[in-house]
Amino acid sequence: MIESDVLVIGGGLAGATAALSAAREGADVRLVSHKESTLRNASGLIDVLGYHDGDLLADPFSTLDNLPEGHPYERVGAEAVEDGLALFDEVLGDLYAGSHTEKNALVPTTGGAVKPTARYPKTVAPGLASDTNEMLLVGFETLTDFDAPLAAEHLENAGVPFEVRGVTARFPMLRADAKITRYAKVLDTNEKGIRSQLVEAIKPHLGDAERVGFPAVLGHDHPEKVREALGRELGAEVFEVPSGPPSLPGMRLENTLFAALREAGVTIETGNPVVDFEDSNGRIDHVKVKRTHQHVPYFANEFVLATGGLVGKGITSSREGVREPVFDLHIPHPENRYDWFEDDAFGDHPFARFGVAVDTDLRPRDSAGAVEFENLRAAGGVLGGADFAAEKSGSGISLATGQFAGKRAAQQS
Amino acid sequence: MASQTAVLVIGGGSTGCGIARDLAMRGVDVTLVEQGNLTHGTTGRMHGLLHSGGRYAVSDQKSARECIEENRILRDIAAHCVEETGGLFVKRPEDTEEYFQKKLDGCRACDIPAEVLTAQEAREVEPYLAPDIAKAIWVPDGAVDPFRLCVANAASAEQHGGRVLTHAPVTDLLVEAGEVVGAKIRHEPGPRNDSAGEIETIYADHVVNATGAWAGRLGDMAGVDIEVRPSKGVMTIMNVRQVDTVVNRCRPKGDADIVVPHETTCILGTTDEEVRDPEKYPEEQWEVDLVIDELTKLVPILGEARTIRSFWGVRPLYEPPEVGSADPTDITRDFFLLDHAERDGLPGMTSIVGGKFTTYRMMAESISDHVCGKLGVRASCETAQVPLPGSEDFSVLHDYMDEFGLRSPVGRRSVQRLGSRADDVLKTDAPNPVLCECEGVTRAEVQDALTHSGTDLNAVRIRTRASMGNCQGGFCCQRLASELHPDHDEETARTSLDELYQERWKGERHALWGEQLSQAALNHALHAATLNRDGDPAKAGTPDWNAFDGGEL
Amino acid sequence: MSDSEKFPIDVFPEAEDMDLRPGADSCYKCSTCDTSCPVAEVDDDFPGPKFQGPEQWRLKRKEDVSVDESVMKCSNCMRCDGACPAEVPLSQMHNTARGEYVREEMSMLSREYWRNRILANYGTLARVGSKVPRLTNAIMGNSVVQRVNEKFLGITAEREFPDFATETFVEWFEARGGAKVQSDEKRVAYFHGDYANYNTPEVAKALVRVFEHYGYEVAVPDQRCSGTPMFANGMLDDARRAAKFNVEIFHDLVSEGYDIVCSCTSCSMALRQEYPELFSFDGTAEVAAHTYEALEYLRIYEDVEGDLKGANPDVPDLAYHAPCHARNQGLDGQAVNLFADLDGVSVTDVGDSCSGISGTYGWKEENYDTSMKIGEEMFEHMDDAPGETGLTECPTCAMQMGHGSGYEIRHPLEVVESALVE
Repeated sequence: MIESDVLVIGGGLAGATAALSAAREGADVRLVSHKESTLRNASGLIDVLGYHDGDLLADPFSTLDNLPEGHPYERVGAEAVEDGLALFDEVLGDLYAGSHTEKNALVPTTGGAVKPTARYPKTVAPGLASDTNEMLLVGFETLTDFDAPLAAEHLENAGVPFEVRGVTARFPMLRADAKITRYAKVLDTNEKGIRSQLVEAIKPHLGDAERVGFPAVLGHDHPEKVREALGRELGAEVFEVPSGPPSLPGMRLENTLFAALREAGVTIETGNPVVDFEDSNGRIDHVKVKRTHQHVPYFANEFVLATGGLVGKGITSSREGVREPVFDLHIPHPENRYDWFEDDAFGDHPFARFGVAVDTDLRPRDSAGAVEFENLRAAGGVLGGADFAAEKSGSGISLATGQFAGKRAAQQS
Repeated sequence: MASQTAVLVIGGGSTGCGIARDLAMRGVDVTLVEQGNLTHGTTGRMHGLLHSGGRYAVSDQKSARECIEENRILRDIAAHCVEETGGLFVKRPEDTEEYFQKKLDGCRACDIPAEVLTAQEAREVEPYLAPDIAKAIWVPDGAVDPFRLCVANAASAEQHGGRVLTHAPVTDLLVEAGEVVGAKIRHEPGPRNDSAGEIETIYADHVVNATGAWAGRLGDMAGVDIEVRPSKGVMTIMNVRQVDTVVNRCRPKGDADIVVPHETTCILGTTDEEVRDPEKYPEEQWEVDLVIDELTKLVPILGEARTIRSFWGVRPLYEPPEVGSADPTDITRDFFLLDHAERDGLPGMTSIVGGKFTTYRMMAESISDHVCGKLGVRASCETAQVPLPGSEDFSVLHDYMDEFGLRSPVGRRSVQRLGSRADDVLKTDAPNPVLCECEGVTRAEVQDALTHSGTDLNAVRIRTRASMGNCQGGFCCQRLASELHPDHDEETARTSLDELYQERWKGERHALWGEQLSQAALNHALHAATLNRDGDPAKAGTPDWNAFDGGEL
Repeated sequence: MSDSEKFPIDVFPEAEDMDLRPGADSCYKCSTCDTSCPVAEVDDDFPGPKFQGPEQWRLKRKEDVSVDESVMKCSNCMRCDGACPAEVPLSQMHNTARGEYVREEMSMLSREYWRNRILANYGTLARVGSKVPRLTNAIMGNSVVQRVNEKFLGITAEREFPDFATETFVEWFEARGGAKVQSDEKRVAYFHGDYANYNTPEVAKALVRVFEHYGYEVAVPDQRCSGTPMFANGMLDDARRAAKFNVEIFHDLVSEGYDIVCSCTSCSMALRQEYPELFSFDGTAEVAAHTYEALEYLRIYEDVEGDLKGANPDVPDLAYHAPCHARNQGLDGQAVNLFADLDGVSVTDVGDSCSGISGTYGWKEENYDTSMKIGEEMFEHMDDAPGETGLTECPTCAMQMGHGSGYEIRHPLEVVESALVE
């Protein structure tokens, strides 16, 4: 019989945070994730809140109390956001920066815009747009998501307070359709002296640049070594311009987070979906994990649902409507599917807010507003009420609600 | 700015391009103007069926005969635009035997090769056909890429000394002393950006109005009535090919009765509803649902398959006002040549209205004969014999890896699109990464398209199919825009990116459920969250940099 | 809509050219599959599972036959399946494309074809070799023979062929008089596969003893190779013959109330996932639905977790590697979790990298270097872990672990046997 105090469903940032926070409360925690973590899809930046009503925010915390009812931050309160970040900083402190201030940082994107974020990998840190050091961006002919000269001109047009130039170089050795993990691998292992070859190709363009930005492929296992070596030979600070999917900063985050989970004693199972459940007296008794063809019961006292939104398939849809596939939770949405979107591609799309509605204990509510199950909480992308992409709030919501749900689940168990 | 030409053809659809080629090959000095891209109108918004004539074999045998004749010609002269898929007229149990027999007899009467298949045989041709179908008739339907065909016609016209201007809407027709003598056009941003904003006056000995659903508007400029009756129809695009053969429902005219395999996709069609304005009409949910639900009866897997977008086209139907059909499905698909000298006492202009894509060449020949008659030109038509550019010595190359360093499916698709131009376009010394992974489009092919498209990424899209696959440009729009730089500045590249992204969204929003809604959510996350294109300070205004984290000191 | 309406008719029941284009419907291009591919990370001639799967299939027209040759570089580790958040049938697409490539593009006269066929049909080789185990071991271990293999067959001389046991598992089982426990309620049929039979009978014996310890009647029916090496080499005809034989035998046992257990995670993978994806013999679905990995079975139906707590097996510290195919069945954390509270033994997970051998893949001369590059990370972690003994469920991963580290490699069932069985 498979059982635990707390069962977390989902292996993204919210699920991992929930499992970690529950384990730290002393609970026996099991995390089941259908697939490998979707963290590798994300840029690796930890956005908390970058925009409110379309206005760019320098300080996300000053606005947390002004969010509308039903927004995940409103549900858990500003304190949970800080607790979530504190947990993150504690676990990822060696890998990440940004905790020295409450202000947002503006990080260059591969398109050449800048975006507000609260925590960023140390590999990204020298690239901040509020820094005035001269910048050189380096792209590779074969990594088509980042056109460095175009991005540099874009940054100029955004009025950045530093000189910036871009150059496109040829990455030695690799075929045109090599995957980003291949780039990272040759840099990690310094195959055929690749690091020096790169430096030689870039040096003629360096000029007075004090910092040099690359696509985020500077190593998988040893990014600090790669960055340090390139920086030393170039005589400039080296940084990564984050992007994705797929994303090496996301993969590095995943590795560290899951190592922390294992260290905290969380049992992790990947590869099989939770497809069904049994309940009695308003409580989930057990969920059923589909192992190829058998439905295996997993028992627990408390459950956390962190299966993600439309992208992570925690929310699914058809022409008939929108649903949550594991517990069939209520997802508020307009009946007519032509009311799910706006005509402008960047409009205020209702679909971007689809997700479960919860009480202030993060327990999903049915269409009448009643709590569906006493011992089920939801966290992260599966929650409705926020357009994380427009707000730049995705990771913050996962950290805040994951931490909160995990802690509450452990306390209740 | 002014110029002079013998014949000014207005409209860069299949008919206009066909006329331009035909006249140019006869040695006539011809200029073609088109308000947007080639195929901007109806030609670019069709399901891509190359008719065998089978669809008209009962209701309109004259059209049916024309179709099979032209079908055979296009297979020869436009090999790289045509895929010889074959077609099936599938009878479901509830469809009448009487109509099935009429269809078969009609095909045979019109010289359309037709063969009856049992249900089992039909399902061996197309395994996803519904298990309960009764039987089917096989006919030589095909699939055609209308854009590629128009481009080839325009290129041929240019090779024969013609002039082709896209992104050049007519702002006025010149009428002097009761005669049409030319037109004013405005150059808009496009392939010839250096002249953008300029007005050009083009004087012509004769003007051909080949603007399809827009013919009435041209008529208004000259003060004549042209009673085009535009009729809209929806087409829904599936992510993959569920069938490799054109599948028609074998029953009298009706909505939602055809599936056309088109390039990497299938296109479901269609509906038929009269509209007032060819540019402004409602695009509605019930139309999309109707084609999916109806065609699911023929190919059940369609009901659960992923659609990636829908689009609407407007048929330029015409009937002489005295006929007065109430239902647009009753209006003939035949074409009409309106000699405005005879009809309205306005010499200098001929309009062509009605007609259908498959017989564009025949229509073009007929108009060209008419115009040459007016101009006293005696050369005869050669368009049925001479292959179009790209279709000469067309053979599929096999060793893409060695030839172009491409993976074989990418090479194969590139060659299918480029025809005999593949060698010129794909041979490059620089790395040639794939920019659009869904459709297998490489940088070299995009660069080639850019030489014909200026800064218009939508023109690149229809030339290459880049951004037309599953992700609807989510992953490649930005890569395509990057190709504009440094020939064009960043702001231009950004504007072109926005136009392409919005255009993709325009069709994708009609497919927002299931996988495509997940895709849209992912695209939204990528473009808004990761790239911050919605809050981009280059557009939204420069932030106070000092108010933000400047890094740990 | 019923299933029979949704699926295409089986026009040519024996054909392999099934249409997998609709599988591309699920792909939204996130490329998670590419980032989890161990081959793409070390070899850029391999364009990754997204290309091999949904992209290549979507670009196909009916008459197109050419499959890109790079599909032969796929090691069939199936990690892409475990990565894809959208359930694109990646490995099924790869297996089918590989079958098509072998059929359409690979010359049956080529050295590569015959080498692959020999490797894919290890069982045939083993059946002959195990008749005279000592002689075979001496010959295969001979360096001249190894060089000849490399030169004429393209089988790398770097590796040593595994030794054949002097008594096969089946011989042992028959000699002991078959099952020692009889039960009408608790019955399992053991799919041991070729390797446990010919090369590592101690693993198979451990399974029998552990299940008998829990009161199960264990049946050991006649069987053939699961087909895993045949899928990986595109030899779908060979695989079909083996699968058909296995399905018939095991389906009969399932009808009699047996569940099927495997000690090799690639075998359980084949029976429960690949058979129903690639074949449709009568009983395929039932066999798939009743197949389990051995320890997984005990975790579900017995309190093996509790029984192992505080147990004190006679084994050294172990460095555990989770085979990709175990990962694919959600079993990657199982052994380490089960053995976490053993007394006096530390079991360390050596990370989530692929061992690199992927069955027959690493045996091919042209893949040997790639295979060892993929394995590098695992070797490093083995070195860092306490102890000098390895642990894994997969026989070829075990070969690679032993080859790269010089360690002796054990199977989790051996640990359980030592902990629970007298």
